[in-house]
Amino acid sequence: MKQKVNEILAEKGRKVEAVIPILQAIQEEYNYLPEEALQQVADNSDITLERIYGISTFYSQFRHEPVGKHMIKVCVGTACHVKGATQVYDAFKRQLNISEQDETDADGLFTVDKVACLGCCTIAPVVQIDQTTFGHVEPSKVKEILDDFLSSDGNPEASKLATDLSDTDKDGEVRIGLGSCCVASGSSDVKRELEESLQKNQANVDVKEVGCVGICNQVPLLEIHKPNESPTFYTKIKAEEVSDIIRKHFRSKSIWTRWKNDISGMIDQYVLKDIPKSVKRYDSEQVDTPVAEFLDGQINIATEHRGFLQPNDLEEYLKLGGFQSFKKCLKELDQNAIIKSIKDSGLRGRGGGGFPTSIKWEMVKNATDKEKYIIVNGDEGDPGAFMDRMLLESYPFRVIEGLMIAAIAVKASSGIFYIRAEYPLAVKRIKEALYLCEKAGLIGNNILESGINFPVEVFEGAGAFICGEETALIASVEGNRGLPSMRPPYPAVKGLKQKPTLINNTETFAMVPWIIREGAEKFEEIGTKNSKGSKVFALAGKINRGGLIEVPIGITLREIVERIGGGIPNGKAFKAVQIGGPSGGCIPASMMDTPIDFESLKEAGAMMGSGGLVVLDEDDCMVDIAKYFLSFTQDQSCGKCTFCRIGTTRMLEILEKITSGNGKMADLEMLEKLAYSTKKGSLCGLGKSAPNPILSTLQYFKEEYLEHINGTCSTGKCQEMIEYFIEEECIGCTKCAQDCPTEAIAIKPYEVHIVENEKCIKCDICRQVCPVNAVIIR
Amino acid sequence: MIKLKINNQVVEVAQGTSVLKVAESLGIEIPTMCFKDGFGNHPSCMLCLVKDAKNGQLHPSCALPAEEGMEIITDDEEIFEARKESLELLLSDHVGDCEAPCRTACPAYMDIPKMNHFIAERKFDEALKLVKEEIALPLILGYICPAPCEGACRRSQAEAPVSICELKKMVAEEDLKSDDYYLPEKLASSGKKVAIIGSGPAGLSAAFHLLKFGHSVVVFDKNEEAGGTLRYDIPEENLPNSAVDAELKMVKKYGAEFRLNTTIDKAIFEQKLKKDFDAIVFALGNFEDGKMKDFGFENNKFGLVADKATFQVNEEGIFACGNVIRSRKMAVTSVAQGKQVAHSIHDYFAKKAPEKIYRMFNSRFGKLKQEEVGEYLKECSSKVPEPFEGPIDVSKNRVELKKEARVFTMEQGVEEAERCMHCECRKLHTCKLRIYSDKYKADRRKFMFGERKTLKKHMQHELIVYEPEKCIRCNLCVDISALQKDSLGFTSIGRGYTVEINIPFNKNMKDVFDKTALECAEACPTGAISLK
Repeated sequence: MKQKVNEILAEKGRKVEAVIPILQAIQEEYNYLPEEALQQVADNSDITLERIYGISTFYSQFRHEPVGKHMIKVCVGTACHVKGATQVYDAFKRQLNISEQDETDADGLFTVDKVACLGCCTIAPVVQIDQTTFGHVEPSKVKEILDDFLSSDGNPEASKLATDLSDTDKDGEVRIGLGSCCVASGSSDVKRELEESLQKNQANVDVKEVGCVGICNQVPLLEIHKPNESPTFYTKIKAEEVSDIIRKHFRSKSIWTRWKNDISGMIDQYVLKDIPKSVKRYDSEQVDTPVAEFLDGQINIATEHRGFLQPNDLEEYLKLGGFQSFKKCLKELDQNAIIKSIKDSGLRGRGGGGFPTSIKWEMVKNATDKEKYIIVNGDEGDPGAFMDRMLLESYPFRVIEGLMIAAIAVKASSGIFYIRAEYPLAVKRIKEALYLCEKAGLIGNNILESGINFPVEVFEGAGAFICGEETALIASVEGNRGLPSMRPPYPAVKGLKQKPTLINNTETFAMVPWIIREGAEKFEEIGTKNSKGSKVFALAGKINRGGLIEVPIGITLREIVERIGGGIPNGKAFKAVQIGGPSGGCIPASMMDTPIDFESLKEAGAMMGSGGLVVLDEDDCMVDIAKYFLSFTQDQSCGKCTFCRIGTTRMLEILEKITSGNGKMADLEMLEKLAYSTKKGSLCGLGKSAPNPILSTLQYFKEEYLEHINGTCSTGKCQEMIEYFIEEECIGCTKCAQDCPTEAIAIKPYEVHIVENEKCIKCDICRQVCPVNAVIIR
Repeated sequence: MIKLKINNQVVEVAQGTSVLKVAESLGIEIPTMCFKDGFGNHPSCMLCLVKDAKNGQLHPSCALPAEEGMEIITDDEEIFEARKESLELLLSDHVGDCEAPCRTACPAYMDIPKMNHFIAERKFDEALKLVKEEIALPLILGYICPAPCEGACRRSQAEAPVSICELKKMVAEEDLKSDDYYLPEKLASSGKKVAIIGSGPAGLSAAFHLLKFGHSVVVFDKNEEAGGTLRYDIPEENLPNSAVDAELKMVKKYGAEFRLNTTIDKAIFEQKLKKDFDAIVFALGNFEDGKMKDFGFENNKFGLVADKATFQVNEEGIFACGNVIRSRKMAVTSVAQGKQVAHSIHDYFAKKAPEKIYRMFNSRFGKLKQEEVGEYLKECSSKVPEPFEGPIDVSKNRVELKKEARVFTMEQGVEEAERCMHCECRKLHTCKLRIYSDKYKADRRKFMFGERKTLKKHMQHELIVYEPEKCIRCNLCVDISALQKDSLGFTSIGRGYTVEINIPFNKNMKDVFDKTALECAEACPTGAISLK
């Protein structure tokens, strides 16, 4: 161990600011942080044991106990929560016989953990076992998933690209999305199958890996592009269905050529008739298809060339005009001109606050220090948000270009990508992209022969929502616990290492190249009076077509939910939209025509936030939603100031009292009062906005709170207030009884079954497995 | 230089000055707990909140840099409420008593832990003087007090409570053995005269404290001997008349005049007492006996109606205490009321509205959890191992009075006093949380609805005691030891509500704060880190 730790220290350095990377490396090596190793770090570096322990216990990434061989991460993000993530988590623990206070099973095989958000909201509930992600997980399927994982354990091979396709005269191109959602839904298997099947059929076809297409709940998505034909989309495709599709589109060359010349129209018919049943096929020119509707009404600035761009193909990005804006800034525009463009465009920070971007830039530009830093804030911690992840994964060059333009504009000396560790693919893609850019002379030393140096590095966040707050983020880069500090001084004046530091959100940087290239006026034309341009949202929850969307600011919620999202599934009634995550609020269905811009949302009691947009239907309990968000902020509070540390805890306790049916009117009054004082008295944005989900639900859904105080939760979400009951429709199939983990239902073939409520743990499995919907909650 | 306004006063200060410092320079006091000079941007307690008059936002003044044109308000209702609420939130997370439960249970608010301290140190005189601050008749009460203090004594959760009552009796008996017993120094004579009707515990107590204030006192009693219920109702085996005589003698020697065989009726009261005395106290043992109905004061089914705080009846200058306002009170309550009446009369003579004797804010957390008993036993026995895992076999048993003996011997007393676990806080008088909770009239129970945390007492260190559940997470100790590169210091462990200040990897508390122990104890705004 001694040698290993020394190696790590030699690589990461022995200074205070290296502490987080050092701990990450140790954990990577040992899968936890052995005390001995930490002591050794303290003995051989500038880092004290107090600092090490303070940090290793602050960030949720770090562990002091060894974990099981496999990590099961149950996502409890918003979208997963509304689809029953807690029950999934319970089911895993139950299946593995893990007691309430433990996390690892007796054999040390599995550790079950909750994670804030894996950013795969569209296929919720999501569970990740090691590197494999499972979507649409139900408590009743947990055993199956574990078996499936164990049987394939050890051979999930990294897919290799087909190499022997000849380069000339392509017959077409097959595009496959490889964003996190797609991969989670099995796109790498699809890809492997695709390559094999193309080889088998000797098809002369390009396979193109593209970034996130945005239609995340229809993934894996396959697009077939053929010369002179409109592309065809296949959604929700499975690996075993690939070869059929390929056979139908691309026969061996000779046959294909013949078909192409003679009976090209026939193929589509043939395909339509014969495509596998689980797959849906759409022609891109058909306007009334879900895919077309989804894409229509969107606007692509941050997501330009969506579904076409290969994430790590720098040449392609350059061919499509990439880095033109940067070159223009480097060679033609002076600092003021760049900042003027940004100012004229009206761009405001996309991280949530909506602070005018040009003001920050101006402040940093005006600082006379030689050392100035720029940080790309990719610490997207909101449950239910995955915009930054998708932008970093799919458009790494665009974000880098935005950063570089800022570097020129404010004359910064170096840059940092701060990306949360929960986004391994984003980290990987950015690192690759930075490498390619450096090789191409776009970053690093003597950029494009200009004599300007601008090194860029990646800092991996270690799991703390608070680090999205800029002062806390800086604290963590400096090797401290991520505690926010009082502003002013603003980072633009005194930031990283006390030097002027420009921090913008990932999405903000992604807007910049477009603005420079197309002109500020064009950007300014989009949007509303005070909110310009487009905004990327992560649309998830109870919606037919969830995914990543980029829309002009000012679009109404109705347009997003009904047109782009295709409304609410299963004929349920639309209830509200939760927007802005834990800092935001719920906007009721009655206010669907609210335009989405910074001011209108604030007025409505929500906020733009970073862009999480979770749709709720009649089955969602608004008190439960408030409790969900509060328990998130309570858990993520850094613990520094009184109102946030204790205030959020007390509010949560009140909400727990209410959702367990023990609330009184006085509790409601105290909740509201405490919410207001926490808003007023907290130090940073986290505490100040933490009460928003409570206040907005109190504003629009007070009757639901009153209902709980009177003893009922009509949606049945509040477990302590409900009972399961089997109605007369029961056909006596015994399925529920067989699957019940606590034997609360006795097996009685052909009779109406009965739930013994004393034994029932409300895992919801019986209701899910019942073939005739006889199990109800009351 | 920067120009700004604080509470409408214009002031010019150097760039970089905090609003807290600016206010300080103007003589405006802003409360702080987590702030310490030299530790800049460190706001955590949020007690120093002030308001930006321009936008109504609240900011912690300790970290808020003064800016040109700023307009700051340091005190208004909203700020007061916010500060109060931050104290209330801190209190909801604070497991600790200010005064010990025995003292808060005592109707006379006798400082029991301190008395025990003195006795254990064989300072019997000091102990007696302390007792007499609150209790005029300690010997008598030593015999008859039902000792609610012992009911509250935490030691009873380990085995039996400390024999507080016997200890008090012992110091009183010891004092009265000679003729040179303790009589507190009196204030200069005021020339005011007070009539006290009734010579039971309430009347005698009032007399004692009035004398102390320099007023003269005449005690009237219908019986031929003074003492009231003490002499006539309580059997000799419970309270020997010799004890009553001894303390009566003491009150007489202190200056009280007794007029016995004198029944005060309405006529005497109106024609004589009211004329001859500046204030009158009804301290009769029984409302019916004294024909009090005839006097025409407001009364109810319990007896005479007197103000609950000051014991004034519905006529200025007339007071009532003891059983006449509510019968079947404990003698100790009557004694406590007697003291309050003396204070009320003193106020009245000073032409002030009578006020209740001020008791400072007290944090309380009630019973110990079973696993906490050992933590408290550490306070009175060096033999409790750390970490303590129970069961309790190292504690000393309660000293029992021998059958024939009337009081403890000194040796017994010392041994018994050593059993006290000292539940009071070591920073009783300096804890900022207590001082400001008092000032802002914080309601300690307002947010107390979660389950309380389990307390610990870390006593391995030579100089300091660390009680984590009294910590407000100000981090001053962490910063002090880090700044001075102490060999091992505290760190913040965890995050959010569960964040805890402690030593990394549970290393031994003995080795912590080599250089900075005293500084940390002093800087700690609460009783979390205190000197042994």
